[in-house]
Amino acid sequence: MRLCLILSAGLLAAADGKLLPLLTQHCGACHTGSQAQGGLSFNSVESLQKGGKHGPARDLIVAHMTGEKTPQMPLGAKLPAETIAEIKAEIAKLPVNANPTDAHWTWLRQSPAKPQNPTIKNQSWPRNPIDSHILAKLESQNLTPAPEAPKRTLLRRLYFDLIGLPPTPEQTREFLNDPSPAAYEKQIDKLLADTRYGERWGRHWLDLVRYAESDGFAIDGERPTAWRYRDYVIRAFNSDKPYDLFVQEQIAGDEYRGKKPTSQADKIIAQGFLRFAPWEADANSKKQLRQDFLNDITGTVGSVFLGLTTGCAQCHDHKYDPIKHKDYYRLQAFFAGTAIADAPLPFDAVENPKEMKRQQRLHEDAAEAAQQELDAQREALKNQYLSLFKLKPDDPKVKQFLGKLNTKNLFFLDQDLPLVKEPEWRQPLKAYFDTRDKMQREQELARRYQALAYTVKDVAPPAAPEVPDTYILSGGDLAAKTEKVEPGFPFENKPAEIPFAGGSNGRRLALAEWIAADKNPFTARVIANRLWQRHFGEGIVRTPSDFGRNGEQPTHPELLDLLATHLVENKWSLKSLHKFILTSAAYRQSSVHPEQQKYAAIDPTNRLLWRMNWQRLDAEVLRDSILFTSGRLNPQPAGPPVLFNVPDDVAQGFEFFKWYPSPEDEQRRRSVYQIQRRSVILPMAETFDAPNLSSSCARRQSTIVAPQALTLLNGALTRTEAEHFAKRIEGNPDPITEAFWLALSRPPTETERRAAEPLKSNLPSLAAVLFNLNEFLYVE
Amino acid sequence: MNRRQWITQSAFGLGSAALNQLLAGTHHPAKADACIFLGMLGGVSQIDTFDPKPKLVELNGKIMDWSKEKKTDQPNLFAKPRKFVASPFKFAKYGKCGRDVSELLPHTAQCVDDLAIVRSVQSDNGNHPAAVFQMNTGFIIPGNPSMGAWVTYGLGTANKNLPAFVAMPDFRSIPFSGAQQWGSGYLPAEFQGTVLRAASEPIRDLDNPKGLPAQTIDAEREALRQLNAAYREARPDNADLQARIDSYELAYRMQMEVPRVLSIDAEPESVKEAYGLNDPITASFGRRCLMARKLVEAGVRFVEIFTPSQSWDAHGDIKKNHEKNARETDKPIAALLKDLKQRGMLSRTLVVYMGEFGRTPDTPADQETPGRDHNTRCQSMWFAGGGARGGSIIGTTDEIGHKAVEDIYHMHDVHATILHLMGLNDMRLTYYFAGRNRRLTDLGGRLIKPILS
Repeated sequence: MRLCLILSAGLLAAADGKLLPLLTQHCGACHTGSQAQGGLSFNSVESLQKGGKHGPARDLIVAHMTGEKTPQMPLGAKLPAETIAEIKAEIAKLPVNANPTDAHWTWLRQSPAKPQNPTIKNQSWPRNPIDSHILAKLESQNLTPAPEAPKRTLLRRLYFDLIGLPPTPEQTREFLNDPSPAAYEKQIDKLLADTRYGERWGRHWLDLVRYAESDGFAIDGERPTAWRYRDYVIRAFNSDKPYDLFVQEQIAGDEYRGKKPTSQADKIIAQGFLRFAPWEADANSKKQLRQDFLNDITGTVGSVFLGLTTGCAQCHDHKYDPIKHKDYYRLQAFFAGTAIADAPLPFDAVENPKEMKRQQRLHEDAAEAAQQELDAQREALKNQYLSLFKLKPDDPKVKQFLGKLNTKNLFFLDQDLPLVKEPEWRQPLKAYFDTRDKMQREQELARRYQALAYTVKDVAPPAAPEVPDTYILSGGDLAAKTEKVEPGFPFENKPAEIPFAGGSNGRRLALAEWIAADKNPFTARVIANRLWQRHFGEGIVRTPSDFGRNGEQPTHPELLDLLATHLVENKWSLKSLHKFILTSAAYRQSSVHPEQQKYAAIDPTNRLLWRMNWQRLDAEVLRDSILFTSGRLNPQPAGPPVLFNVPDDVAQGFEFFKWYPSPEDEQRRRSVYQIQRRSVILPMAETFDAPNLSSSCARRQSTIVAPQALTLLNGALTRTEAEHFAKRIEGNPDPITEAFWLALSRPPTETERRAAEPLKSNLPSLAAVLFNLNEFLYVE
Repeated sequence: MNRRQWITQSAFGLGSAALNQLLAGTHHPAKADACIFLGMLGGVSQIDTFDPKPKLVELNGKIMDWSKEKKTDQPNLFAKPRKFVASPFKFAKYGKCGRDVSELLPHTAQCVDDLAIVRSVQSDNGNHPAAVFQMNTGFIIPGNPSMGAWVTYGLGTANKNLPAFVAMPDFRSIPFSGAQQWGSGYLPAEFQGTVLRAASEPIRDLDNPKGLPAQTIDAEREALRQLNAAYREARPDNADLQARIDSYELAYRMQMEVPRVLSIDAEPESVKEAYGLNDPITASFGRRCLMARKLVEAGVRFVEIFTPSQSWDAHGDIKKNHEKNARETDKPIAALLKDLKQRGMLSRTLVVYMGEFGRTPDTPADQETPGRDHNTRCQSMWFAGGGARGGSIIGTTDEIGHKAVEDIYHMHDVHATILHLMGLNDMRLTYYFAGRNRRLTDLGGRLIKPILS
């Protein structure tokens, strides 16, 4: 199967797929096809470069759009300034001649070096070296940064950013009343030490690694102990596990030979990373299934750790970046000996082993009891069947009937067995299926507490005679093997040196050590950019998993290198990098700039960071914040996943599993603990742009659609929690003020008080309204 | 309609996030303004519907020699001896075009002059889940946008108060992977299909909370308006704030509009009867067909209706299975075609009938009641209305109906043709994701030109 597509043959390197759509949208009526006006066609980048009767178009397009040259284009209309700016920026990315310059790759291939502080005029603004880089670019365009945001805004920003929840009124008041210059930094330290930090930032990582607790496809079988990886990630963030170690554990924890402190459990569980792709358990071709698994790893390792779209070289040489078709298979060869494994792995002390064992036993006992009840009910049904049709017990029809009882549900039984509609059958059959549900539910719960790791192992010497060979597959087709390849790092022509470690073949270790090396030019930049992206809403490279030519160029390459070197110098401590970023003046800027309109015309997408970006709460943060505000968020961390109540139409109709919601108090835990089941997409998550769980998600969308309004106005979560929120403020002499403090960390203005006054007698309605406010959903 | 108007008028797309890639607008004049896709899950047997194989009568019960055929659809089933199965259904010729249709579909047979039948559609994977993904998203793996999402992304919406793309699965058994089959994949979420439920509340959370008096709801709305307005005033430059305020107004309008559009009670008795609403067997599919007509009438662009997951999957008993499924769907589908035609809508509405694959001419030799297994080498599907040439037919299968041998088309070609009729060029309808421009048809589909009017 071919996954890729080729834009148009010979499309030049820098065209990133936006320019042509923009031009064809606005200019396509006249400038496409063989009859294009003036001979200028926007069919391809080549035809654009070649131009029409006035010569190459790259410098003419914008001049005609702005009216600098006549006639103004498009004829009879003027495009909005932001569209022209966008087109201009896209054109600027086109190579000047047919041989695209490799300046970008020259930079990218070199290990980051600590940059000089650039010269700036306004010496009083910077708080740390980050700011000099931001300010230098702003000053070069005669722009000034936005003023510092008010203290309350800063505090909410820090809270949502670091722990994904709002501050309590007490916490807000305490901060507002702390006049010391160190107050802000104290908050950063406090929040970075809060265990909810791991729950928030762990979720970002889970987005990236296509984390899911089921296989997807038809059967969508649960991965009952995959949750140990989720807890591993949360623990890693909370304990500030050095990022180089974090990387190594996920690629080759079992082979790790470094000196950094870790645990056996961490090393094995972390390798779940390699297995989170969808898995077609009943695939017709097991060979293809294996190849799909390897392809996923090859692509995911490239995009997650290296910021490279290695997956594009599966069928042919990368069309834009210097990643050869052969390099793809050389990279894949590191995993040639890797096999999936559900390995016995005792719970680590931090995983609460006693409780795990107790729960497992509890659910096993309950399942057994249900089994006995089920056997009795089946026997009774069998006898009923025998007497109805006057059959002998050994009649094949009886076996068939019992088979159906074991494998089908009422709906499917309905199709093949008309008798289920008879009243004397309906009741016992329903009771039977209820018992079967109960048993399955208990079995399902027991499985989640097993001391198993969802991980990989090697099929290699000494466990197996040899590691399977890796071949280049022409067109990615398993049937089209060509040259045999050895493991090799991208961009290096020689084969990788494979160390032998622990009883495994050491291939993954070689790759892990190469990626996690201080000198690797990609790794530190890519993770530093991801941190920046989550703090600012946009990365320095705005395509965080694509650092190649086809991605967005870095807005501040030197700054990115500053962050990357900071990370490596501080022993890969992510918390240290967080603090570096959060203490900058750039981060403390207001999201509103006094010169907003003027600046927006110059830099509409805020690439130069002349203000803070707005961010809408992620689906999980929104839900958690509603529960937190109503005072009902259950803070219990860790452990097997929680299943929420979902509407019938989301959870019913699956042939291979049933959806058994957890007890109500469990359902009030943080969203990161909800089960990530590929075929049951939770409505609120779906509506508010949560990732689709099938592929790595580097950046969430932030859409605005009417169903979001319906969900927040009428949905069960809003209305239930509004009742509880109301109880919190009931009896307060000034419930409106208290409600504002709880939801928005501030008292209402006089205008707001007047607007809220009609709901004073109806506090649940007031609460519901507050949950729906823009101010509740957006972080400034 | 230009982009700005589209943004402000659409009930479902108000965000600023994704607009840099937005293409809203046709590439060429459209033949169809809307598409109704009838997903026959499980896979309909071509041999028992639109592609008669008299040769099988002669071969019936004989052991098939598969040694020369590479069978990968269901290797476990083909490892054992297999015997031929003649169709248990009689065929006759219908319409001015004189097309063969079996007795299984007596109502559809009456509409055959409006159908453009393709007997030679192939696909890549003989496993239901992968095949259903391919039917809906073009790819056999999850994570890709559905065809309705692509169309909505390409064309925007044509109505103010309803979703542009609606999916109506059968809740007795929804398609594998559920909402991903009408999801937006890597496209922004605003292009995902909205599920219309058969329950009293057709769109999730559409109804006001139960027991809340109208005046309380009004008071809430008013307070929300005022508070959001005050906040917005101090931050005039964030367009998203206004867009969210607008999204609430649109949500209120949807609350009024959706029940009106979907109210079936007011339909004349003759219409209800025609769609089979008075018969419990046809009621479910019929109701959804009627809703589809009403939705298209109200400006919805893409409607998908699915039979229960694997319903047509006749491994065990072709006769019993296909009779049941045909009985549930045939009459409603014919009623839909006639209704659209009578209202003058068929010429601008494309109706597509397809399953995830076809079925085999044979069954395991030791099986008592003959069935048919999965077959990716051919299936019969049809287009009607919306620029499809009624009465036309294309594609030939071999004499046993095992594989297409002439004018072979792929699932991608069906998608390309749907897009084409809706005014979109599948090569130009692209979205940049994870390193490259993506398409519904991957490297591009081939138009099924012989069936275009």
